[in-house]
Amino acid sequence: MSDLELSVMAKDTDRAKPLSDRCVWNAVLPAALVVLLFGFAAFDRSVLSSANLLNIAQQTSYLALFAMAQTVVILTRGFDLALGPTVSMVSVGTALAMAGAAATGHETGVVLLAGLSAGFGLGIACGLFNGVVIALLGVNPFVATLGSYNIAIGIATTLSSGRPVQGVPKIFSELFYGGSLFGVPAAIVITVAVGIVLHLILSRTVFGRSLYILGTNSRAAAVAGLPVKRILVATYVLCSALAALGAIMMTARTGSGEPNLGGALSLQAIAGAVVGGTSLAGGRGGVGTAVLGALFITILSNGMNLTRIDGYVQMVVLGAIVIIGVLLDRLRLERSSQ
Amino acid sequence: MDVDVAPKPAEPLLQLRGISKHFTGVQALDRIDLGVRAGELHVLFGENGAGKSTLINVVSGTFPPDEGSFHFEGEEIRHLTPQRARAIGISPVFQEFSLVPSLTVEENLFLGREITTGGVLRAREMRKRAQALIDELGFDLDPSRRVDDLSRAHQQMAEIAKALLGKVRLLILDEPTASLTERETGRLFELIARLKSRGVGLIYVSHRMREIRTLADRVTVLRDGRHVRTLDAASSTDGELVELMTGRKIDLLYPTITHKPGKVIVDVENLTLADGSVRDVNFYGRAGEITGIAGLVGCGKSELIRAIYGIEPATSGAIRIDGAPYEFPAARRSLKRGIAYFPANRTAEGLALSRPIRENASMTVLDLPAFARFGVLRQAAERAKIGGIMAQLQLRPPNIERAAGALSGGNRQKVMLARALTRELTVFLFDEPSVGIDVGAKLEVYEFMKSLVEAGAAVIVVSSELPEALALSNRLYVMHHGRIVAELTGADRTEQNVLSSFFRDHLTAEVA
Repeated sequence: MSDLELSVMAKDTDRAKPLSDRCVWNAVLPAALVVLLFGFAAFDRSVLSSANLLNIAQQTSYLALFAMAQTVVILTRGFDLALGPTVSMVSVGTALAMAGAAATGHETGVVLLAGLSAGFGLGIACGLFNGVVIALLGVNPFVATLGSYNIAIGIATTLSSGRPVQGVPKIFSELFYGGSLFGVPAAIVITVAVGIVLHLILSRTVFGRSLYILGTNSRAAAVAGLPVKRILVATYVLCSALAALGAIMMTARTGSGEPNLGGALSLQAIAGAVVGGTSLAGGRGGVGTAVLGALFITILSNGMNLTRIDGYVQMVVLGAIVIIGVLLDRLRLERSSQ
Repeated sequence: MDVDVAPKPAEPLLQLRGISKHFTGVQALDRIDLGVRAGELHVLFGENGAGKSTLINVVSGTFPPDEGSFHFEGEEIRHLTPQRARAIGISPVFQEFSLVPSLTVEENLFLGREITTGGVLRAREMRKRAQALIDELGFDLDPSRRVDDLSRAHQQMAEIAKALLGKVRLLILDEPTASLTERETGRLFELIARLKSRGVGLIYVSHRMREIRTLADRVTVLRDGRHVRTLDAASSTDGELVELMTGRKIDLLYPTITHKPGKVIVDVENLTLADGSVRDVNFYGRAGEITGIAGLVGCGKSELIRAIYGIEPATSGAIRIDGAPYEFPAARRSLKRGIAYFPANRTAEGLALSRPIRENASMTVLDLPAFARFGVLRQAAERAKIGGIMAQLQLRPPNIERAAGALSGGNRQKVMLARALTRELTVFLFDEPSVGIDVGAKLEVYEFMKSLVEAGAAVIVVSSELPEALALSNRLYVMHHGRIVAELTGADRTEQNVLSSFFRDHLTAEVA
């Protein structure tokens, strides 16, 4: 076959981008972060104070977790609009379970266990529901999670009668909020650990690989014998489990189960994922993009708070950011398909 | 189709001089000259990536050229857009369809140029014009059907009809027969002859020698974005053209395959599919031979092997693999049983284009302990294994970390073929194995099949290209309207016999 070598040489229309091109794209967001930070600092020097920077890091760790959750499903060309209400539901469920266990006189360990099982149980149930409706019944993810959005709000409000659930033990708050490891607050420690594990799952496991392939071309994945439906269900379960973890951490912060805890989180998590560079077309993105995006959104809202920009104006900005993020994604896709 | 006769026959209809086009990192076109005369069919000939697509995109206004001059009907054209191109009579028919799937054929035909009175659509008038056009083209096409309900062949016809609605001076056809049946192809050729006689110029892209022989007035050969030569079709030979295209000699297109039929590996009994595309089919494939299935587009031959692999649902019948019944086939279980399927549409069903070659090649083996243990990928082993296989398949350049989407048709097929070597397989189902790949890569695919079958595998090849089906197979089934109408072996495997078995079927259908 050696005389055929010529025919294949240099016949590829080489569409691989030169390295410099890709670097520019990857550098845009970090550069924007620095500009943003110093821009706000020009108005208010306290933005760059170490207390505020730690504050930003801590706030980012919650949003990063939710952006990671959202990224996992967006990788499969999916969506989880119900993420916010899931957080509310898990918060209420966790608090109720702990209050109940404490009231019946169980010891601390049992109380904590009850709270965590209730929280993760509810989260996983929610993910299973979304996954089954989307993967097995073939309902569009947008519509399916819009449905479960309302279901979760309904459950959270009914369980809590619309009021904060009291009776969360101190030790729970200390463990997931007040605690620290070598001086690093618990929320940051947990998010970093989860981020590393999730990154390893996405890059080193069959599940992670399948996720990217399925997100890029689900038909090809099915023809290649990948268990597409099972992977999709697992993806939604993973997303909701991550949301549940975030909900538990936020419940520890507020010290009560809050039926409105997840209010704007669905959009913020989507914004974080998309701004970070996760492609709505599927198959592109990861832990890095989620964390970068979350950092961007957090710095933006932190800076706007410190410079006293009106809360409703902030909503306008967040909405615009999501749209710009999607536009950038489109632009990138068009460039890479040329 | 209102066609005006070109007024100035002396100068060419289209004259390109020194056209260059550069994409990031690639010189797609390098100072190309091309002249197309009125009433002439001008074939663009070249391997994948030679620049044919870029060139027709420049002519139809999709890409602006970086440099060079563009004259159409004697006038210099600058800043051409697709809309403007259509307005001056340049009408392209691309391989990628431009039809809106949710609209009907007639709505698509008039899309953007609807006939209206005071903003109200004149549906009846449009229907009449659409029907008249389709009748004139001789297509068997219902203008009121939705495009997504049409077969690929019918979509192709609608696409051609769309290009011919309105003023046409230069028609561009990019592999128009790829999804047409023989009869429809015949119709298209008649149409081309009529257009030529009315002074329409045609640019025609095709890999099929036979078509070029029948149709071409002149042939321009492109290689690596450069103009190699423009020849008169009548005075050039096939060998000469292929030699110019590849830059070297190719004597034989089909390899000589030694078939040693062994035991029956694939045995299908009374198989009927849920959508009725295959009805009551019995056939078998043996180890050590290539079993061919020939037939027109849409005869059910693809669906037949897809059902064996488990991606088309069957309603009745039995499949036996190596003697053991195989119930409820599914892709994953087929692979475990040693059955692999190579889809015809590699973009839609084969590859995850933005993922690396490596991941695309190992997609079917993630369940094997050699590639993953306890759900954790063994990436070093994967790199080594896939790297070796792609080297063996002569991937150029040999970088397995490039995105599969950056590859030409031939190299994409190689990534698919790599899957044949990643695990133990005994049955290979090929669906249109040479569609969309150039002559050089075709030969490599054939050589690959030869090596599989001579190593004792059962290979089943479905092909709409009759010469290919005849040359590769040891036994050839002919399918027609979902049924097997003939099984040809030995000296009986002739084009004549295949065609007459369609014909016989038509006769019996008419009698019955």
